[in-house]
Amino acid sequence: MHQEFRLNTIGLINRDKKISFKFNGKKYFGYEGDTLASALIANGVHLVARSFKYHRPRGFFGVGVDEPYAIVQLYRDGETDPNCRATEQELFEGLEAKSVNCWPSVNFDIGAINNFLNKFFPAGFYYKTFMWPKSFWYRIYEPFIRKAAGFGVASVAHDKERYEHKYEYCDLLITGSGPSGLASAYAAAKNGAKIILAEEKPRFGGSLLTSEANIGNESGKEWTQKIITELKEMPNVIVKNRAQVFGYYDHNMLVMSERINDHLAKSKKYSPKQRLWYIRAKEVVISSGSIERPIVFGNNDTPGVVLASAAKEYLKIYGVLVGKKPLIFTNNDSAYETAVEFKKNGISPVVLDTRNNPDSEIISEAKSMGIDIKFSHVVIAAKGYKKVKYAEISKISEDKKSLGKIENISCDCICVSGFWTPTIHLASQSGNKTKFNENIDAFVPGKSKQQETTLGSANGIFSLEETLKTSFEAGYEKSKKITKKDNKISIPQVSEKKHSKHDKFWCVPLPKEKKYKRFLDFQNDVAVSDVELALREGYRSIEHVKRYTTLGMATDQGKTSNLNGLQLVSNIEDKIVPAVGHTTFRPPYTPVTIGTIVGREIGKHSKPTRKSPIHSWHEKNNAVFVDAGVWLRPRYYKRGEENLFEASKREAENVRKNVGVCDVTTLGKIDIKGPDAAEFLNRVYTNAWLKLPIGKARYGVMLREDGIVMDDGTTTRISENHYHMTTTTAQAANVLSHLEYYLQIVWPELNVNVVSTTEQWAGAAIAGPKSRSLLQKLFPGTDVSNEGLPFMGYIEGNLFGVHARIFRISFSGELAYEVNVESDNGNFMWEKIIEIGTEFSIQPYGTEALSTLRIEMGHVAGSELDGRTIPYDNGLQGLVSKKKDFIGKRSLNRKAFIEENRQKVVGVVPLDKKTSIPEGSHLVRDSKAKLPNPKLGHISASCWSVEYNNPFSLAILKDGKNMIGQKLFAMCPLKNKTIAVEIVSSHYVDPKGERVRS
Amino acid sequence: MLHIKCPYCGMRSQNEFAYGGDANVKRPELNKEVTDKEWDTFVYFRKSPRGKHLELWHHISGCRQWFKVQRDTLTHEIYKTAEIKEDI
Amino acid sequence: MQKYSVFSLIKNAFKGHKDWQVAWKDPTPKDEYDVIIIGGGGHGLATAYYLAKEHNITNVAIVEKGWIGGGNVGRNTTILRSNYMHDENGLFYEKGMDLWRSMSQDLNFNVMYSPRGIINLAHSDAQMNAYSRRGNSMRLNGIDAVLLGREEVKKLVPVLDFSQNVRFPIFGALMQPSGGTARHDAVAWGYARQADSMGVDIIQNCEVNGFDVVNGKIKGIKTSKGNIKTKKVGLCVAGSTSILAEMLNMTLPIETHLLQACVSEPIKPILDQVVTFGAGHFYCSQSDKGEMVMGGDLDGYNSYAQRGNFPTLQHVLTEGIAMFPFLSKLKMLRTWGGIMDMSMDGSPIIDKTHIEGLYLNCGWCYGGFKATPASGWVFAHTIAQDRVHELNAGFNLNRFSTGHLIDEKGLGTKTWIS
Repeated sequence: MHQEFRLNTIGLINRDKKISFKFNGKKYFGYEGDTLASALIANGVHLVARSFKYHRPRGFFGVGVDEPYAIVQLYRDGETDPNCRATEQELFEGLEAKSVNCWPSVNFDIGAINNFLNKFFPAGFYYKTFMWPKSFWYRIYEPFIRKAAGFGVASVAHDKERYEHKYEYCDLLITGSGPSGLASAYAAAKNGAKIILAEEKPRFGGSLLTSEANIGNESGKEWTQKIITELKEMPNVIVKNRAQVFGYYDHNMLVMSERINDHLAKSKKYSPKQRLWYIRAKEVVISSGSIERPIVFGNNDTPGVVLASAAKEYLKIYGVLVGKKPLIFTNNDSAYETAVEFKKNGISPVVLDTRNNPDSEIISEAKSMGIDIKFSHVVIAAKGYKKVKYAEISKISEDKKSLGKIENISCDCICVSGFWTPTIHLASQSGNKTKFNENIDAFVPGKSKQQETTLGSANGIFSLEETLKTSFEAGYEKSKKITKKDNKISIPQVSEKKHSKHDKFWCVPLPKEKKYKRFLDFQNDVAVSDVELALREGYRSIEHVKRYTTLGMATDQGKTSNLNGLQLVSNIEDKIVPAVGHTTFRPPYTPVTIGTIVGREIGKHSKPTRKSPIHSWHEKNNAVFVDAGVWLRPRYYKRGEENLFEASKREAENVRKNVGVCDVTTLGKIDIKGPDAAEFLNRVYTNAWLKLPIGKARYGVMLREDGIVMDDGTTTRISENHYHMTTTTAQAANVLSHLEYYLQIVWPELNVNVVSTTEQWAGAAIAGPKSRSLLQKLFPGTDVSNEGLPFMGYIEGNLFGVHARIFRISFSGELAYEVNVESDNGNFMWEKIIEIGTEFSIQPYGTEALSTLRIEMGHVAGSELDGRTIPYDNGLQGLVSKKKDFIGKRSLNRKAFIEENRQKVVGVVPLDKKTSIPEGSHLVRDSKAKLPNPKLGHISASCWSVEYNNPFSLAILKDGKNMIGQKLFAMCPLKNKTIAVEIVSSHYVDPKGERVRS
Repeated sequence: MLHIKCPYCGMRSQNEFAYGGDANVKRPELNKEVTDKEWDTFVYFRKSPRGKHLELWHHISGCRQWFKVQRDTLTHEIYKTAEIKEDI
Repeated sequence: MQKYSVFSLIKNAFKGHKDWQVAWKDPTPKDEYDVIIIGGGGHGLATAYYLAKEHNITNVAIVEKGWIGGGNVGRNTTILRSNYMHDENGLFYEKGMDLWRSMSQDLNFNVMYSPRGIINLAHSDAQMNAYSRRGNSMRLNGIDAVLLGREEVKKLVPVLDFSQNVRFPIFGALMQPSGGTARHDAVAWGYARQADSMGVDIIQNCEVNGFDVVNGKIKGIKTSKGNIKTKKVGLCVAGSTSILAEMLNMTLPIETHLLQACVSEPIKPILDQVVTFGAGHFYCSQSDKGEMVMGGDLDGYNSYAQRGNFPTLQHVLTEGIAMFPFLSKLKMLRTWGGIMDMSMDGSPIIDKTHIEGLYLNCGWCYGGFKATPASGWVFAHTIAQDRVHELNAGFNLNRFSTGHLIDEKGLGTKTWIS
């Protein structure tokens, strides 16, 4: 139970609530409010990971989102999450975690042999070797490298957690609840603005939680508490903790991921684990603070080397000591706060300050507390393998070039501070061109690009007084612009210690004869020598350096390494940092769970499912469904042990012999109304439409402007100015947009309206020689004789009290009708047809039988109208008017389209009349020709002709017109099939079309 | 996600709209003689400017009206939207 | 030029890696070159390399606005394949596959050619038939292709969703076993290093501002580093072709669009192949580092911004989880975007132009990376011989007048629909 590195006195954790957890199989305890990192440190666990390339021991470096080391495999509620940052994962009862990237254990890792061979593995070594023998890269080297790489292990099981999305609009979005965030949020909320305040951590307050400064007569922590409490009670305010704004997109839309249940052992019922917020904000305040950057020195990756600010936070928030013999290494004043905090808690640190005798209040305080401070001193190297044991230190000259005598100083941690880097990611993502601020040696946002304002330390302002002043003002001004209100609140007094100027020094030179690795990127093992090598080899642009060395490409995305990398390139290339320039900041600011981004659109719901109103009848009658776009359609109705072939053959035969019924609800339907409707159709379709009488339907083909067939279908003239168009299921949406495009943009003078009625009508196709007899019984009061309702005729009828539209149109080539009723009556219609059809031996048929029927009739469909064919190719040249102009006509005279040997749809029959030809086979003249074997055409659709009881296919064949009667080979090498075939007419059954007119 | 002002419905998010390409493309009049080059230019050839671009959008999950948008193809800033009959 | 090998690596290790030479120099431009290639991306670098290697033309400059390899060769998802239906595409890309197979050795630079197989999933019989048409065409063109049933796919890629809880179940797949991946940056650097060693000048940070055209003939180019004379200019600036074309008063059948890609955090090996979703536009492979490399749809409106929008990314990842449920618990680490020349039939243009000495290499849509070697190879031929090679004869500009289009997807001119 004893936590060796835990203090009993300070921190914001709840010591009344103990929490047990396991790390690498061993049981430990922590407290409510701990992170996995703070609990492990409290328990004296400092070795948690191994580095990516050299497998060097790794501990904890930071305390939050910038952590490069402590990546663990997490086990929670029976599931496992790879690559969790221990510094962000809050402790819950029963948490289990394991180290990754090490074998057999983090303590004894075989991969660490890489570290001893590291001289052979400089940046980009893999580009220079592993090339011989030729096949070895793929067969030997790559599998080996792949196994060694990667961190956690992904679980293959379905994620049982739930993720949700939320859309929100607000006046001000404030990203971060540190001093600038709180002040601007408070000022704006008080001025009536609708605000969202997002804090990535569990606790609000940011730097105020660990600051010694006072606001008014309150501590930063108390002031935070007061403001947050008040904000939460305001109706115009949304306050969210554990909420990371990770992307700033166009037109002031930002995305935020909120961790709702990650900190609990198990997600609450009906509660998502995480929620993605889309936030459209009128104004954005970027108050994301800053991240401390390290000074680079030898072995600076040894466990125990931590950021000074992290050490302070572990102390003040978690009551945890990162070490008991701390060495503090700094180039600025902020690390003195860490030193003072150690001292207050009975630990005596040694401070090494690179500066020569700086003077400020905090330094005076440290001195007065008796803290040992060595000015003009640096850490040359950390010593110790799995934990810092001592440090080599020395004096450094004023010009920072020469080192003094090396001394050893005993310590168990080195708290390093190389000053602060503003977190400008969101500003940069918004399109803001950043600028380099010489005073702080870092980039800050430039002129606002969208409606964003960056405040506080994110903008390079490190004084609390100035931060509060500018933030209160910004909150007021921004809100005033929106709410037009003028409720200004007074800015509280601040008492804080003024800081002296920091030192630009960022990297300790190596003494002669010392070959310590000095790391820039800690996770990816990128050292100073790697960047030097890249530049030496001519990889000089910062993007080349990044890609060649992998600097900044780890899961911490270079939050602590990028700026030091830039400094190094700038030094070697003798350019100023802004001339080197930084690599692009792109979303996400920090890695985001993919499940959260996707939300509820998973599994069956990954795309919508559309069902006809008759769907449940199909289900009850053993329909096997097929996806037709997002629609589900019956493919066949299974009887007994039938397979697809047997069932569809039975269904098709029954249509040819008796009568069948097919659900055609999915066909696109468009209502067209207006005095110019006929003229419009005449322009849209290739054939003539001006003289279609009322009560008549016509088949039409429409083209794209490039001459390619877009869609086909029938359109019926319902009344003088009212037409009903049908489209294919697949093209329904495109055709509607197409019609609207021409009506609204190209020919606005036409007085026509179009609207989709696909969902309004349920449709049943009744086909077969007995279909008229059935129709007569369905509509006893209506004349459906060949005279009363001729081919391509249209009438309306009364289906047992239900209004119905009856079209005499046929896709199957049989005598056929299509009956439409309002969707709500679809099932009624269908059941009536089945009920009354029984005496005519009716059977429902699915899309497979429908295909068979249309193929043997030579009707073209989607597999021929594949976006590459013109009317001629499909045998539809008779429908192309020579007299009038229409969409796409001008393209039809292109050279390729009028070539003598242009492709054309034909029929194909195997010579043996037995072997079915797989769809997608190609037709060749010589099956044994050497490759590439010239292809003459392809099999677009195949069926078993129920009329002739042998296989029949359609093909699109070069010079198809002149190929009838020729013998070719259909080749399907994928299925190892070569079939001798004869080319025949595509109209295999009833070539004169007598049946449909009978 | 772009925020687009439909001239008929007001500001809406991008996911309500479908893109329709270059609005400067003018279809030759019906029944009018055009050269092959003019026709090919209409069907295939596009300026594709970097910067201001006059384009068509379709409020497909809204009022189903096509309209014009003047947008910067480098920054995605939308300068103006207008009904088809209006000039930009 | 220094030879890269395990021996040179060991030798240099003992010298502290101090003796490595620059991979390419940083010359100032000469007054005149025989050929100037505009664009220091994969295609431009490869063109220069093959001009020198195959045609002995070494007085060549590559002029690059930024840094070499900074465009789409460094922004793609590294997929290599030749699984095309149309002969023009199939035979051209297969030439590329041949060049990929020996690229590391040819360039003495490990481009990590990894023929791990590319699998196109099918989710209906109709799609299986469409893939059969494509696969059979490949086989008849001498390209490897196999048709896999559901169970075979399951054996190869067990981490796909074979449960009942899917919207579009997997029926099978078309696989090109020799398809795979390569390390994109290495391709640019490898070509650059060899081209440089054969005398090609790689001129970075040099922006082209105009062309010197007299009586229909190219005489030179105007750049931010001064005017440079030449009789032959090759344009290899996919994504920015329309901008340069405008300087030449040319309009092209191209629109510029943005394609995004993203990677997850690195995980231990879980996916050995490249897999594409058939019920949408998602593809995925795992990098050697362990990151899941993912891409999909275009953003859907003309764009020169090398930054994408969120809805597309979300859409892509939605299809990702539909295919690979394990992605749900991974975290998205990095996203980026590249700008594409979307041609009006989805196929490239590699051709001479109406201006004598001006050669065009553009319209790569989102398929440019795998084409890099073949594109450079045929373009070098076209420039050197002043006539197209039979492998790029079909990729002419004239096809938009004649109608001999090469439309793999049958989608026509709406380039923003992918």
